[in-house]
Amino acid sequence: MTLASTTTQVQTLLDATALGSIYGLMAIGIGLVFGVLRLVNFAYGQLIMAGAYALALTQDWSIIASIALCFAVVLGLSLAMEFAAFRPLRRASPTTMLVATFAISYLLQSIALVRFGAIGKIVVVIPGLTQPVTIGGLHVRWITVVTILVAAGVFVALTLFLRRTSIGLQMRAASIDSDTARLLGVRANAVITVAVLVSGAIAALVAVILPMAVPERILVTPDYALRETIIVLVGVVVGGIDRLLSATLGGFAMGFLVGTLSGFLPSSGSWPFTSSVYLDSAVFVLVILVLLLRPEGLFTRSRRSAVERV
Amino acid sequence: MRRARDLVELLGPLGLLVVVGVVGSLGFVSPARQTEVVSALVSVAIVVSLYVFVGNSGVVSFGHISFVAVGAFAAGVMTVPVALKPTITPGLFSVLAKHSLGNVPSLALAAAVGGAFALLVGIPLMRLSGLAASIATFAVLGVTHNILGNWTKIGPGALTLTTVPQTTGLLQGTIGAVGVAGLAFAYQRSRYGRRLRAAREDPAAARAAGIDIHRERLWAFALSGTLCGFAGGLFVHQAGTLQASDVYLDLTFLTLAMLVVGGVGSLWGAVVGALVVSGLDSFLLDAENGDVGFVNSLLGKPLWGGSRLVGVALFMAIVLVLRPEGLTRGREFRLPRLPRARRLLRGSPA
Amino acid sequence: MSTPEPAPLLELRGLEVRHGSVPAVRNLDLDVRRGEIVGLIGPNGAGKSTTLHAIVGAVRPSAGDIALRGASIRGQPPERIVRSGVGLVPEGRRIFAELTVEENLRLGLAGRHTKEGAQEALESVADLFPVLRDARKRQAGLLSGGQQQQLAIGRALVADPELLLLDEPSLGLAPAIVDTVFETLRAIRDRGLTILLVEQRAQRTVAFADRTYVLANGELRMALLPRDANDTERMVAAYFGT
Repeated sequence: MTLASTTTQVQTLLDATALGSIYGLMAIGIGLVFGVLRLVNFAYGQLIMAGAYALALTQDWSIIASIALCFAVVLGLSLAMEFAAFRPLRRASPTTMLVATFAISYLLQSIALVRFGAIGKIVVVIPGLTQPVTIGGLHVRWITVVTILVAAGVFVALTLFLRRTSIGLQMRAASIDSDTARLLGVRANAVITVAVLVSGAIAALVAVILPMAVPERILVTPDYALRETIIVLVGVVVGGIDRLLSATLGGFAMGFLVGTLSGFLPSSGSWPFTSSVYLDSAVFVLVILVLLLRPEGLFTRSRRSAVERV
Repeated sequence: MRRARDLVELLGPLGLLVVVGVVGSLGFVSPARQTEVVSALVSVAIVVSLYVFVGNSGVVSFGHISFVAVGAFAAGVMTVPVALKPTITPGLFSVLAKHSLGNVPSLALAAAVGGAFALLVGIPLMRLSGLAASIATFAVLGVTHNILGNWTKIGPGALTLTTVPQTTGLLQGTIGAVGVAGLAFAYQRSRYGRRLRAAREDPAAARAAGIDIHRERLWAFALSGTLCGFAGGLFVHQAGTLQASDVYLDLTFLTLAMLVVGGVGSLWGAVVGALVVSGLDSFLLDAENGDVGFVNSLLGKPLWGGSRLVGVALFMAIVLVLRPEGLTRGREFRLPRLPRARRLLRGSPA
Repeated sequence: MSTPEPAPLLELRGLEVRHGSVPAVRNLDLDVRRGEIVGLIGPNGAGKSTTLHAIVGAVRPSAGDIALRGASIRGQPPERIVRSGVGLVPEGRRIFAELTVEENLRLGLAGRHTKEGAQEALESVADLFPVLRDARKRQAGLLSGGQQQQLAIGRALVADPELLLLDEPSLGLAPAIVDTVFETLRAIRDRGLTILLVEQRAQRTVAFADRTYVLANGELRMALLPRDANDTERMVAAYFGT
């Protein structure tokens, strides 16, 4: 093996780690809301879409102002979803909740389609970050390194929040047994709102990072982040949706897998799975296998899980 | 007398479908409107096929459109004239490229392919429940879409399939929808259907009563796949063209939402949901084209382009939030309760 | 002139609670005065748990009223009632097995109506149940049944309740441990709390409490005093409604 191909391989793995980090962040956002509401939010990708549009439409603003607007829009939309949809659906069956969030996802996509059209808008968030940098013989883009560091930072901050603060403790308890938590005086609505806001903040962060980190995602369309949402949702269930850690690991693993496969699969082949166009199939087949072998999740510790209950 | 009352439940859906088909064929109905009616009937076929599994087992399958897809592509590819195949579907396996089928055989093939695929996929998947099952079926959809959209040996790959004979008009559409509804009804009234419903209500009790949940689900899944394949055949013979994206997420969302809006637990719900949403869709399409008077005067112009999707999605979201069990509340069709009618039916004083 | 009796801490008047269309509790009148230990016994399904859940706001009554310190608390959510001074130790303990003992106790602080005194409350509970102090960092699910019961009571106490509701605290515990639990309840009462105790162990409860109500089929049958504990006939009559 030549030195060149080793560095290419390492670069691919770094890119895959960055992609995994983004998917991991999305998994946290989805997992937090699932924990306190037992609701799988199919419309999570639309939050990212809204943030990306906010960035795309304010290209002539300063970077800080643009990002601030992005956060404001996404947080506002998250709260709107919570009040208009999640609250009335709290007592509904899991089936209804799944289809309802699916409907909301489509509603938001079609609104974006009407308002902005199908032709995408280019968004450049922080021009400097897409520049390459050489670290120890490796050519990577700044954004790859930044993404990994930011994701790690968010993960650490969130862990501290959940373990060290009282509202974090209440959130963990509500995720385990919300009825008993209420009986102890935990304010259910407050805990849920905090979870929704944190989840929304993460979506806004992804909206800022994604256009820079993934080349195709520089174009904002109504179905922005839909493919990522699907893969992350699948990853979260495969990882184990019950606990935040296993859900996050599942999301990260999916991102990493997609990143490595796209880097290592050949680009053409006439039979399925022999070329990179079949990347999705490869990923999905692996998902089916994992679900068959371990339906409660890859990274869960125990056998009991929310998977069977839902 | 129980049989008679049971048949009344079938009367509603079948009767409604026949009425729709007949009304659509009346002279004053424009060709464009007729196309919409046929689309509605094809939607009914798909949604009822989906219901056969989802309604009876209680498991939400996001992957059923894969069976519609394989049925549609099978029927489509095999009815493209042999002479045109090298242009439209280059790279096809020679056994497929050299032969062509007629309308009805293609529908039979579609059903067979859908059923076989469903059986193959169902054997491992039916062991799963709840969220795992939903995600696994979704993964099947992903794989199917990916392969159908790229593998040129069995289909057009990334190209659009065209020149498919458009044999699904009002007659084929109505017969198709009625046939699917009739089979769905027969299934849910059969021992198999009853056992599956029992398992849905109370899995532990059903197992204790000796019901093999895995097997019952598999039969429903296979039947549902067969009907979906058949509906896919109807679908491609109406559209005349086909791309992998036509039978992927949009259709999955639309049909699933039609089912849930109508009421997931009943045949009547499936039919009503499909027809109501199709009707709304047509209405909004007319509004976009400027054909609806009061919308024009309200807005000063036709409805904004693309807001049809918004309207349908909004309608579905609202129904789900306000009436989560669906428009029919999951109940089958019943005759209105007139005391005299009941006495006549029963042949004895009420 | 004698001083008028102060209003009871808790009053239930004509309470009715339904499970669907079936009334689980019917026309229940019940008083608990400050400093009392009141028992509530009865066969399974008699409505005892439902009564406690109605008091703490987890279920809505369909008729009747619940008053705390003379003011109605009917229809308020649990988070408000808990902050007004009512604590519940649920049936089966319902501790958070994956969290540590300390985290379980800290969770109980959510029910306090002021943040001040939180540390003192934790210390006070640790004094009452020394085993909890030793096992602070252990996962709560690893404790024994009796220890978990102490944790559940401690968790309710850190919220500084005036009225403590206990739902079958002796369930699944060995008799020796049950003794400890009951002794603890006495100690808690001596600290100034009022206790409403739901139990299956009829005789034990009747002997222990100041007054014990018997609930059967959702209705109040009679009130028993400690001296009735040894009167077998009366006990049987209470349970079987003669």
